[in-house]
Amino acid sequence: MDISSVQKLCIHLISSAVQRCRLSEGLCRLSVVLKSSPPIIRVSISDTGTGSCLEEFQDLKCNREGIGTEKWDGLLSIKTTSISDNKIYHYHLNLRGSVSARRLTRLPSIPKNDAKFSGTEVCLSIFETIDALLKDIKHYFQKMLILKIPSVAAELVIERGDASGLRCENVFLPNECSPLNFSSSNVERLKSGLEEYVLKHRNSLNNKCDSCFCSREKLKISSGVASSMESHRSPGLIVEAVIAISELSESLCFRSSGNKTEVLHFKDFSPGSVSIASLNALTSIDWRSYGLTLVSAVDQVDHALIEWESLPPYLHIDMVIHCYHKQYPGKYKYQPDRHLIKKGVKLALDDLKEKHTGLLLSAHAVKICSYAPDLASSIAGIILSSNDLKFRSKCSTLLELSQSQAIGKQTVEDRIKEKIISVIETNDRKPEKIKEAAPFLFVDDRPQDLDPADLYLEEHAGGDNVFSFPD
Amino acid sequence: MDDLSKSDMKFFSDQQHCFADILLPHEVPARIQVVVLNFLKILSSPDPAISDLPLINRKSSNSRVSEGILTDVSWIFLSHSFCSRSLMKANATKAFIRVWKVMEMCFEILIQDKRVTQRELFYKLLCDSPHYFSSQLQVNRTIQDVVALLRCSRYSLGIMASRKGLVAGRILLQEPNQEAVDCSACGSSGYAISGDLNLLESLSMKTDARYIVVVEKHAIFQRLAEDNVFNQIPSILLTAKGYPDIATRFLLHRMSRAFPDLPILALVDWNPAGLAILSTYKFGSIGMGLEAYRYACNVKWLGLRGDDLQLIPQQSLAPLKPRDLQIARSLISSTILRDNYRQELAVMMQSGQGAEIEALYFNGYDYLVKYLAKKIVQANYI
Repeated sequence: MDISSVQKLCIHLISSAVQRCRLSEGLCRLSVVLKSSPPIIRVSISDTGTGSCLEEFQDLKCNREGIGTEKWDGLLSIKTTSISDNKIYHYHLNLRGSVSARRLTRLPSIPKNDAKFSGTEVCLSIFETIDALLKDIKHYFQKMLILKIPSVAAELVIERGDASGLRCENVFLPNECSPLNFSSSNVERLKSGLEEYVLKHRNSLNNKCDSCFCSREKLKISSGVASSMESHRSPGLIVEAVIAISELSESLCFRSSGNKTEVLHFKDFSPGSVSIASLNALTSIDWRSYGLTLVSAVDQVDHALIEWESLPPYLHIDMVIHCYHKQYPGKYKYQPDRHLIKKGVKLALDDLKEKHTGLLLSAHAVKICSYAPDLASSIAGIILSSNDLKFRSKCSTLLELSQSQAIGKQTVEDRIKEKIISVIETNDRKPEKIKEAAPFLFVDDRPQDLDPADLYLEEHAGGDNVFSFPD
Repeated sequence: MDDLSKSDMKFFSDQQHCFADILLPHEVPARIQVVVLNFLKILSSPDPAISDLPLINRKSSNSRVSEGILTDVSWIFLSHSFCSRSLMKANATKAFIRVWKVMEMCFEILIQDKRVTQRELFYKLLCDSPHYFSSQLQVNRTIQDVVALLRCSRYSLGIMASRKGLVAGRILLQEPNQEAVDCSACGSSGYAISGDLNLLESLSMKTDARYIVVVEKHAIFQRLAEDNVFNQIPSILLTAKGYPDIATRFLLHRMSRAFPDLPILALVDWNPAGLAILSTYKFGSIGMGLEAYRYACNVKWLGLRGDDLQLIPQQSLAPLKPRDLQIARSLISSTILRDNYRQELAVMMQSGQGAEIEALYFNGYDYLVKYLAKKIVQANYI
């Protein structure tokens, strides 16, 4: 793959290290050390994951338009060993070398003396300011937190080479307090990750914001997983989508992004770019059946930005999509098609609707609900006008109200309205539901408009003159 | 006809017959209560739902004809095909709620032992729920929906028919505990037929007329009444001032039963609308098919007919309007018309022209009476 900047190169190397850690069973450590002796930074990325096959480095291409030679000389120093190896292999890889054979130089191996471990260390030197590099690396790690890969303990160490030899450390560990353990599924971890991300106001805070999210109800989160079958032509792909809806009564903290949603993308356990398939999937979903109207979905490099038409001011939607191959490692030639992504997102949306009544009601349902008070009022009017005590008592029983005489119209009306709205909301969750039974049988179902054949025998206004309206 | 519906021996065609019961004031609230209870039962059931309202279909596809076997009277009735009003259908939600609102209002009216006219009901609904009711027509249609749902007559709902019809001529009408009214002395305005069917039921009637003449238009009725035609030809004049309303038909039907020897003759314009009016008196209607069948009468077509066209000048013939043609098409497609009526209709459609009764005045203002007399004496009616 092409590397276009030193930041991207470092991120790629860190990402590979993460993948290697993921592959190995058990807890791994990932260290990124930046030793700064201006103007050079010595970057060292080491992990205790599985050993590396060198292909992943040899596939890197470094063209002239990307990283200039003044930034990086193209040399990678790689030390790697697998658990079954009895020595640590050491290589120098020159990615700017013209002849492939001469790129890789083998250096003397280091004996392991029967110790059982695996890991890799990649070192390179670059001409760059530490701040430029640090920003991207930190951003990467913050995003990776969302994935909550459990087996990786990562640390980022910055050594500034000056007289006092100061070191600062930032450690990025999976949240110790979460109830997740190694056996949680990927999607559960993704959910937990997104939840924390939102609770921390999109990683702008170090801890959850308790004032905005004072109750559990404020944040509603759900997930959907869609997978494609493995075949000889394509590997099995999995798309996981997680959607979080926060209902904040006031914007107590800084202003939220209003009508926009950032859809974070991950690909194979690494922050990924937005694919066309993904944008197509997002735009082709029937948002109206969830009560939303999509104005636009735009690729903003590391996330897709969705703009909604008029969300309620207190409502905010966050989304993350993770596409990955079932088998790792493998050749990653296949992109998930939009159907799979669409399916994953829809499953998450339906899950949200299923778990939370009244959330994401389709526009149709909202409209019908607006009529519920009038219907309830009519029915309550009939009940309360009646002189038949048995009838009124039966109605009270059906509505689960007390049998006392003193029940007011408003109480009856509210109860009926509640029940009607609840039915509408339930029906809304299953758009394909078959029509419910009427109290009496009905056999035929025809539209109510009259065809011309009926005009002669139609009595306008039940007996009044066809030629003029009644007096 | 009412006896037939109560008898145990039913013809097959009668089993298809769907009709609205004429109920006493306390019986309709009971039916409404049943609707409410069923609705609430389904709403509160373990698998709750909002029920649809099943209404008898008032369309020609659901209409049947009952040919008079023992009598000369045929009528149209409705069978058991249903359509439904549903809350959940996007554009039909308001119609659904309208039915409930009218039911609620009728319930209140009946509980208080009152009666209202359709007009009054419209205004009450307009004040109460302005978002749902915007026109009299809408209210009237909703009332028919309630009739179709509860299967009781409109009058049982506490809604009185409009006062449209007029009677004049050789008949004495007496309301209970009132003075008898001599309709021949009422002048050209005649006796106004009440919208209260109970009242009409209680009228006692006496006549020495030999014919009943049903007139389409008010102006013709007035002219005939002014000219005292019923003194020249002993007759009763009746008009609904156009399309017949239930009250007028009710009274006509009562007259036909009280005085079975009196032929009932219709004087209508020579156009599809005129024939439609005649047919409604004769067979009933689909729009109010659940109750209208009761009041079908053996009405004969006196005029204007095809062979009367020679009596009027060419220039008084007017082209038929699109609506006339629509009416004609639906009349032709109806199975209830006999051949002789069909032929008349076919001539109308072919010529594309119609004529009004007033065209007879070409021959002089007194010509109408002469025309009438001649036709009656010649028994020139079909």
